[in-house]
Formats: sequence, structure tokens, C-alpha cells
Amino acid sequence: MSLDPGALPTTLGGQFKRHLGAYVAGGVMLGVFQLALNRIDWLSKAAIDDVFGGAPEQVTGPALWMFGLAVLAFASRVGSRWYIFNAGRDAEYELRALLLHRLHRLGTAFYRTMSAGEIMSRSSGDLQQVRLLLGFGVLNIVNVVFAFASALQVMATISVRLTLVSFVVLPVMVITTRTFSKQMFTRTRHNQETLGKLTEVLQTNLAGVRVVRSFALENREHRRFAAANAAYLDASLALARIRGLMFPMVGAASTLGVLAFFWYGASLLQRAPEAGGITRGEFFAFWLAYGRMTWPMIGLGFSISMIQRGRAGYVRLEEIFRALPEVTDGKLPHPKEVAGSISVRGLSFSYGDRKVVDDVSFEVPAGKSIALVGRTGSGKSTIAMLLARLLPTPARAVFVDGNDVCDLPLSAVRANVGYAQQDAFLFSTTVSRNVGFSLDECDSEEATRKIREAAREAQVLEEALGLPEQFDTVVGERGVQLSGGQKQRIALARALVREPKVLVLDDPLSAVDAKTEAAILDAIDRQAAQRTVILVTHRVAAAARCDAIVVLDEGRIIEQGTHDALVQNGGLYAAFAEEQSAKSELDDLEADAAQPGPVPA
Amino acid sequence: MSAQAKKTKTASPDKGSTAPSKGKTLRDFHEEERLGRAYDSHLLKRLWPFMRPHARFLYASMVMILLAAGLNLIRPLVMGRVVEGAQAEEPGGLMKHGITLALVVVGMQVLTFVQMYTMQIAGARSMADLRAHLFEFMQRLELRYYDRTPVGRLVTRATNDVDAVGELFASGVLNAIGDLVALVGIIVMMVALDLRMSLISFASLPLVAVMVWFVRSRARQAFRDIRVKTARLNAFLNEQVSGMPVVQAYARESVMAAEFDEINVEYRDANKRSIFYEAILDAAIEMVGTLCIASVLWWAGFRRIADASITFPLVVTFTQYIKQFFEPVSLLAQRYTILQSAMSGAERIFKLLDEPALEAPAVPTLPAANVPADEAIALEDVTFSYKPGVPVLKDVTLHVKRGEKVALVGATGAGKTTVTSLLLRLYDFEKGTVRVLGKDVCAYDRRELRELFSVVPQDVFLFAGTVASNIAMSDDVPDLGRVERALQRIGALDVFLKRPGGLEARVDDRGANFSAGERQLLAFARALYRDAPLLVLDEATASIDSDTETRLQGALEAVVEGRTSLVIAHRLSTIRAVDRIVVFSKGRIVETGSHDELLAKDGVYARLYRFQFAVEQMETITTAQPPRASAPAGAAE
Repeated sequence: MSLDPGALPTTLGGQFKRHLGAYVAGGVMLGVFQLALNRIDWLSKAAIDDVFGGAPEQVTGPALWMFGLAVLAFASRVGSRWYIFNAGRDAEYELRALLLHRLHRLGTAFYRTMSAGEIMSRSSGDLQQVRLLLGFGVLNIVNVVFAFASALQVMATISVRLTLVSFVVLPVMVITTRTFSKQMFTRTRHNQETLGKLTEVLQTNLAGVRVVRSFALENREHRRFAAANAAYLDASLALARIRGLMFPMVGAASTLGVLAFFWYGASLLQRAPEAGGITRGEFFAFWLAYGRMTWPMIGLGFSISMIQRGRAGYVRLEEIFRALPEVTDGKLPHPKEVAGSISVRGLSFSYGDRKVVDDVSFEVPAGKSIALVGRTGSGKSTIAMLLARLLPTPARAVFVDGNDVCDLPLSAVRANVGYAQQDAFLFSTTVSRNVGFSLDECDSEEATRKIREAAREAQVLEEALGLPEQFDTVVGERGVQLSGGQKQRIALARALVREPKVLVLDDPLSAVDAKTEAAILDAIDRQAAQRTVILVTHRVAAAARCDAIVVLDEGRIIEQGTHDALVQNGGLYAAFAEEQSAKSELDDLEADAAQPGPVPA
Repeated sequence: MSAQAKKTKTASPDKGSTAPSKGKTLRDFHEEERLGRAYDSHLLKRLWPFMRPHARFLYASMVMILLAAGLNLIRPLVMGRVVEGAQAEEPGGLMKHGITLALVVVGMQVLTFVQMYTMQIAGARSMADLRAHLFEFMQRLELRYYDRTPVGRLVTRATNDVDAVGELFASGVLNAIGDLVALVGIIVMMVALDLRMSLISFASLPLVAVMVWFVRSRARQAFRDIRVKTARLNAFLNEQVSGMPVVQAYARESVMAAEFDEINVEYRDANKRSIFYEAILDAAIEMVGTLCIASVLWWAGFRRIADASITFPLVVTFTQYIKQFFEPVSLLAQRYTILQSAMSGAERIFKLLDEPALEAPAVPTLPAANVPADEAIALEDVTFSYKPGVPVLKDVTLHVKRGEKVALVGATGAGKTTVTSLLLRLYDFEKGTVRVLGKDVCAYDRRELRELFSVVPQDVFLFAGTVASNIAMSDDVPDLGRVERALQRIGALDVFLKRPGGLEARVDDRGANFSAGERQLLAFARALYRDAPLLVLDEATASIDSDTETRLQGALEAVVEGRTSLVIAHRLSTIRAVDRIVVFSKGRIVETGSHDELLAKDGVYARLYRFQFAVEQMETITTAQPPRASAPAGAAE
């Protein structure tokens, strides 16, 4: 990738300067273009005056010149758009890359304040407004200046009074488009909002289809949909009205200008040039000049609104560009070798004013394993995320090989502390690319071998091979839908492929049945032989295999020790153990019960 | 990066590399990208019923298109007359023609507006009808269909696809008729005015036509690319945002950025191509216009040497015709593109409407003989499977008397929830009879049947709205008094009054701002508010803090009181509140009786009790702690 998004300017002015070369080139092109049109006007005047002024044989010269200038106008017009619109597209491209670059560096604190929908709306809607400003807006503004100058030169030279008469409607036109484009923007936005509402009603209705049917809510849903549908219809028609009115209004205004010109111009034609009259050629040239000035002037009203909206859009984008990452690189150099010992000392963490981890300390020697056990809400997952600095880990609380994780480069922490999350998020790509997420390529023999090996360890190989296109099957919304357990095991395989020095597994077995669980635990045992493993779990069978167990409740450590010691202790862990051994016996009893139905939406 | 890039391409939906040899999955993946034929009479025939009720607007619009085209045609003539009048030095004529020109222009603009608006009325209304039809259709699709179809795809049908069809009217594809008329009219007028001069003007026409079609087809490809790339760009970014923890945990930021860059570059380049083609087309049409005018002047010059019949007004009229000529040429090509995408939208819509998996209507069956008067619910020899060949219920027979409270217990997947789904006729079963209040469920109108039940599902689904609107789900305006009484009776009024806004507190989509326990309480209140004779309750298994747990227990007792209840039980306290326990195992009922009877029997239930419920009892003793401020469950992890 040639682009370094981190080095891009984050201000609108900076973006403009970055593409200044293209803007200047495009501006020159526009100048040439308008100059050519100006010359064409004068040549047509000469031609008409020749044709109807008694020297028709002289028309060849102007006509041939017109041919040549028409080609020049063509080339310069294409060129101007090429340079300036492309600058807008380049800016859009860079801003989008910058956006992702910033998003990648932001943590949960940011994502809790800005929803995915909001980010998407900024990355599409607002970015589009900015692009229009940097492309279309710039072109129109530059063009309108040149067009005005070039046409005015023709018109004023021919007759100042005729020019004034024709200009009567000009302010009306600019004001009309300005008002209309404002209105149009509001109504377009309203139209999009009603469409969004309609989509939401539909989405909820379909996602909640079971509820709708179980509760016989069809009438209510029908009314909700009908209301949203009607609102969208009204909004579309309101938009259609303003859009439909604007062009005829502007068209009428501009034609009234033409009319004024025809009226007054025709009367000037009757007078001799000496008496302030004009020739036929001048009449014709004036007409051409007036005509080509109309659209840029109409566009001016649009361009002004476009600039305003573009700036407003940029402000919204800047909120993302300027958001401060809560997790940043530490000052220590990248360690050469990591053994993988973890030490947690007095770790506390709060979400807002809710303390979820309270003064937690434990040690894991390199190559050993530890289990964090506790109920939902006991803070065990938060600790797991803090180890990999996926949350803003407080300083002097978590150490890898004696180094504070906050002092290490972020890349070093993430490379050595592998974290596999609880709710398995898979990307909508192939199974192979999901498992091999941490590999730089997934197609080589070596990679394929690794991917299959990990899939086998995570007990998902057979199922993957049973998919329509095996490891090349696309999963997710637009591909094959996987069960929760399958997703979880693919995510586990993804974590295994990575082979980090410290492997943090956050409840990797919550959606897996007992038989598979045992097989996976064997695999985790094999992993534990090669690296430090921190296993977050609520299952005693899994915890029992670890070298040490930490039992958490409401963010605090209430017990710590080996499985045997804790069971003897008779505390919370012992209660868990008893409960779960009973359950597993029950599972054996029901092991081959019929398959569960499809997962309800 | 390069190998990664290759892989992206194979998975990309826009490359034609997926030959029929590839399996079903990738074809499905590509489904959205196909582009149909531009014109399909079959599709138009199916669209017509939606347009017919609004056809008068359509007809009116068509008439106005022709009128506007006609007026547009005489405008250059009038302009010529104005100049002629001026030359003839008769001010009266100038005035007269000037006023005519003004009338023509204003009339045309008024016509254009009314025409466009009536077209939009016809279009937007018929699309609203089509959308409503799709919605009603989706409400009748079997649940099995939803089990295998992503919701997003269905939403797209009723939004994007309908809008694509609507573009036929919004972008005035039907105005193409007007364009054609205008084109032919201009040619006729020009030829009538001066044949040879027209031929000179038209000399460039084949060239323009070829160029327009060439550039347009390229531009069309670019637009298609842009559309596909936009979708990919948004999908990728959206996924990055939702999967951000994974990306960060695996330190794949730069790789993901490189992958994104590839789509971003493709998107930018497709846009640049379209910019180029658009610019060429616009500029070329302008250039040809100038060339035409120059040729006409040149020709006029030659002719004037021998013949004075070429007049200045004629040149003005001709010039205006030339200016008007190229607009429809450019528009026609553009409209073809819109037509194409509208047709592919229509194709996808009708493909959905052809889906046969609809819920069967009620069949009037004879009233079953010997139904005991006090029977509330009956399943007789019912067999059911979600997947063919894998029965979830096997010959299940179960009778529940009016007012009886029955608990269904058993391991996950034993078929308990399925029983309740069949009672509500969410699915149709293969074999057996299901009766509710003495009437076969197949004989009920579905809604009538479901209105007999209050359901408390395991996973409570909340709608975006307020606490009150969620409790009073079926009412447009919640009866606040009843809402309050319902909450009062389950002993949870204080929980919800504590929130800012009280009963009017906002509920986010799917109730994301409520804890699992609060959602459960809301579901109980719903059931009370609804006050249906039959209650189906699927107890949540999720662990909930002990305070809420106690409240839920009280709520359950309030809800089952005086109602025929079927409870899928996971808690000992629930088991104790019922009259009879039915034990499911592997899709069959293996035991039934009261708690004591079953314990005495020492069968499956006795073991289940020992394993599951006894532990629960013990746990409450061992973990009893001083109560703490209850944190919203699920938020911490």
C-alpha cells in the first residue's frame, strides 16, 4: 500500500493544499475553455456579419477557426473535469483511508459514544458532502468566475445596455437556486430519514417475526408499517415537488432573460450601429454568450450550499479524526524475546463509576496455565481484555516478563498476548481466511496446513469439510449461516493459528457440547505445554486442567489455588464443581437427545 | 499482501470468475449483483396491477409529455419570428411574437412541472402499494422460510429494490417517449425548413449516436462497478467497526487497511472512469453543437453567394433546433441504464413473491368428538421435525385441563419449546392433532388462536419504544393505568419507576438498554396486561442477580394465578408452583405426575431433580451474601 494514512492532513484546508496542483491545472483548463468559447462567440459574429453583410465568401475563415476552437473547448473541458473532479475523488479516497486508520486506533470508550450506524453515516453521507465540496464545488466556483468574465466581455462590448437588460433576471435566478437547493437538501434528508424509519420498522418486524406471530401483533405491525410507508410516500412527493418546481422555475427565469434579450435585442437590430444599434452578428454572438453563462450562474446557488454542507460534513468527520486513542504505544523498545510470564498486581478497572475489577493480583509463570472462574458479571472477561490492552489498562498493574504492558509498544503486546473473545465475531469471508486471520496469506501449503491443523484442534475440521465449499465457503450474512457453536470453534481455531506466547481464551466453550468440550480441552492442554494460557471460563471441567485457578466474584478474587485445594475448601468454586458434575451426568443421560431446533432470531 | 489480494478477488462478488462449477454458496453470495434484461414484458405485466389504480395520473402525465414536446418544438419557430419581426421593422409584430414566445416558455415550464409531478404521484403511490403488498406477503411466509433467510435480504427487497423500480417514474424513464417525439419532431421541422441545411446539421448525427452509445455503455459498466464497490466498501467498513476488538486483538490493522485500500482504490478508479466518460459525453455534445452551428454558418455563406433566400431568422431558428437536438439523445442513453436496474429490481421482487412457503390458511374441520368440556390444551400423537428425517417430537400426547398449571422439564433439545411453538401454530406438524380450548389449531384463524395466549419467551424481544408501549404491545395507546397495575402485581413497579422517564422511559432497539432480568420482568408484565386465558412461559436460564431472581419468582406466581399455564421450568421454585410435571426426553414424554409422585418413582425426574435443582438449592445457601447494588447483567463482560 503506497498510501500512509497516518501522514495525511486532518484539516479541510490541508486536504485542499494537498491537491493544489490538480486544482491549478484544472483552473488553467477552465480558463482555456472559457477563452475558446469567448473566441467562438466573436467568430460567429464575424461569420454572420460576413454571410448577411455582403461578403459571404469570407465565411470560410471564421468557420474553420470555429471548428478548431470547438475541439480545443472539448479538450479543455474534459481536462478541467478530469483534474478537479479527480482531485475530489482522491481527497475522498484519502479521507476514507484516514478514517479507517483512525478507527483502528480507537478503543471501546470511543465506540461506546459513537454507534456503528453513526460511523457509517459519517463515512458515507458526510464524506460525500466533503467530496462534492472538493470536486464539484471547487469546479463550479472557478468556472463561474471565468464564464462570467468571458461572456461579459462579449456582451458588454456589444452593448452595455442590452447586457443590463438581460441581467435583470440574473439575481432572481441565483436567489431561486440558492433557496431551492437549501429546501432540497432539507427535504432530501427528510426523505432519507423516513426511508430509514421504514427500514427500521421492517427490520424489527422481520427480526422479531416470532414475537409478532406469537403475540398476534399483525394488526399493530400493519399499522406501524402503513404509517412509515405513508410517511415515506409523503416525503418522496414533497421532494418531487421541490425538485420538479426548481428546474421549471429556474428555467422560466432564465428564459425570461432570453426573452428580455430577444425583445430588446431585436429592437436594437432595427437601429443602425451608429445609432446605438447592433449588427446581426452581434445579436447572434450575444445570444451564444448569454446562453453559456446561464448554467454556471444557476449552478452558483448550488455551489454555495454545497460548500456549506461540505464544511458541516467535515466537522462531523473531524470528530472521528480528532478522537484521542485511549490505548497508545509505550516507550520501551520492542522486546527481542518474550518468555510469557504474566504478573497482575493490584489491578482495578471501572466502566464509568461502576467498578468491575477491584484490586486483583495473580502470577502466571511462563509456560503455565491459569483459569479465571466466576459468574456472569464477575469481571473475568474484563481482566482478560485488560491483559491484551484491549481496554485502557492502568499503569503498573499488568506485567509481561516483568515489563509493564503500558510501557511496551502496542504491537508487541498484541503480538505476544493473543486474545480470543467470548462472542465469536467472524468476518464475512471464507472459513479459511477466518481461521487464518493472523496469517499474511492463506493460500500456501504451509498456511493451509496450519489452518487445518488449528481447525482439527478446535474440533471444527469435519464440519468445515462438510460445508458446500469446504474451507472456501463464505460465512456470515451473505454466505452460509453457522451455528453459535461452530462460530465459536472457528474463532478458537483462529486463536490457535496465531501461536502467541501468551494465549488468553475468553470462555471459548460456552456454546459447545460436553463431548466436543472434552476434545477441545485436550487441545488446550497441548497448547498449554507450549505457552502461557489464561483461560476465562465458567466451567469447572475446563478450569480443573489449569495449573492454578482464580475465583472471582463481583470484581474481586475470593479464592485462589489448585482445583483440588479449592474443591476441598468448600467455597464458591466447590459449589460450582458440584453443580457442574451433576449437570454433566445429566448431559450424559441426555447426550443423544434429538437435535435442537433452529436458533430463534 | 499480494496473495491476500488474490484471495479477496476470488471472494469478491463482482468478478465473473465463479463459473457454474462453484457450489451454491457463492452463487447465493452473488445473487444481488446480477443485472437483468432492460426490458421484460413479463415483469411489466406483473407490475401493472400495482400501477393500475393510479393509471389516470400516468395517462395525464403522458398527455402532458406530448404537449410539452410539442411546445418545445415550436419555440425555435417563434424565436425566428421575433427576429424576423424585428428585421421587418414592424414593432407590432415584435410585440406579438414576443408575447407568444413568453407564453410558450411559461406554458412549457408549467406543463413540465405538472407532468413530472403527476408521474411521481403515479410512481410513488404504486411503489407504496407494492411495498405494502410485499410487507403483507412477508407476514404470511412460513417461519421455516425465516429460519433460512437472512433478514437483511428481505429488507432490501422492500426498500432498495422497490426504490429501483420507482426510479422508472422518479427519473422519468417514461419521458423517453417524450424524448423520442421531440427528436423526430425536430428532424421533421428542420427538414421542412431547409432540407440541405438540415442534412448538413445531421451529418454529424451518426457519429454522435455511435459515440454516445459507446461512451454510455462504458459509463454503465463504470456505474455498475461503483454500485458494487460502494456496497463492498460500506460492508467492509461496517464489519471493521463491528469486529474492531478482533482486528485489534490480532493486531491486523495494517493488513485490514491494505485490504480496505484495495476496495477503496477500485472504488476511486471506477469513479474516475465514470467522471471521464461523463465529461467526454457532455463536452462532446457541446462540441458537436458548436461544429453544427459553424457548418450551418459556413453553408449559409456559400448559399448566400448565389441565393438570398437564406435569412438571418432562419439561421436563428436552426441554431435553436440544434441546441435542443442533443439533449434527448444524451438522455435516452441514460434512461436505458435506469430501466435496466429497475427491471433487475423487479425481477428480485417477483422472485420473492413467487416463494411458495406460505402459512396454510385455516381449514374448517369437524369438531372433534368426545372432547372433555374442561380440556384446555391437547396434543395427541404429535410428531414434528425441523429438518426432514430428524424428528424433534415423537408421538407426543399431552392433555391439560382448564386452570391447570403444568411444568415441562427436560434437557436442552428434548422438545419442550417445540411443544409451545406447535400450540401457537408457528410451525405445522406432520402427524397428530393439536387442540386448543377444544378446537383443532388448524381450524383456527392464526391470529385468533394466538390471541388466546400470553407468551413469555426465554429470550425477550423488546421493540424500540417506551416501557409502557412494550408492555401494552398490542395497543396503539398504552393504557397507563393497566400498565401500572400489571407492574404492581408482579412487584416490579419500583424497578421501572426508578428509571428517568418512568413508564415512558425509552427502550432502544431490541431492548439493548435493559438488563436480562429487567427484560424478563417486562415480559411478565406484558403477559398480565394482555390477560389471555392461556399462558406459555419459557423460563430464562441466564443467571440473574439474586435480587431480580426473587422478584422474578414473585412475578411468575402472579402471572400463573388463575390461568391455564404451560411453563418450561428451569427453577425449583417454579416446579413447586405447578400442579403437574411433564418430563421430556429425546422428543418423548417419559414421565408425568406431581413432584412427590415423580420423586417416589425414582425415574428420570428424580435424577434430574437431584442433579439440577438440588444444586440450585445448595448454591443459594453457599453463595448467600449481603445484597449489593445490582449491576445491569451482561454489561460487565
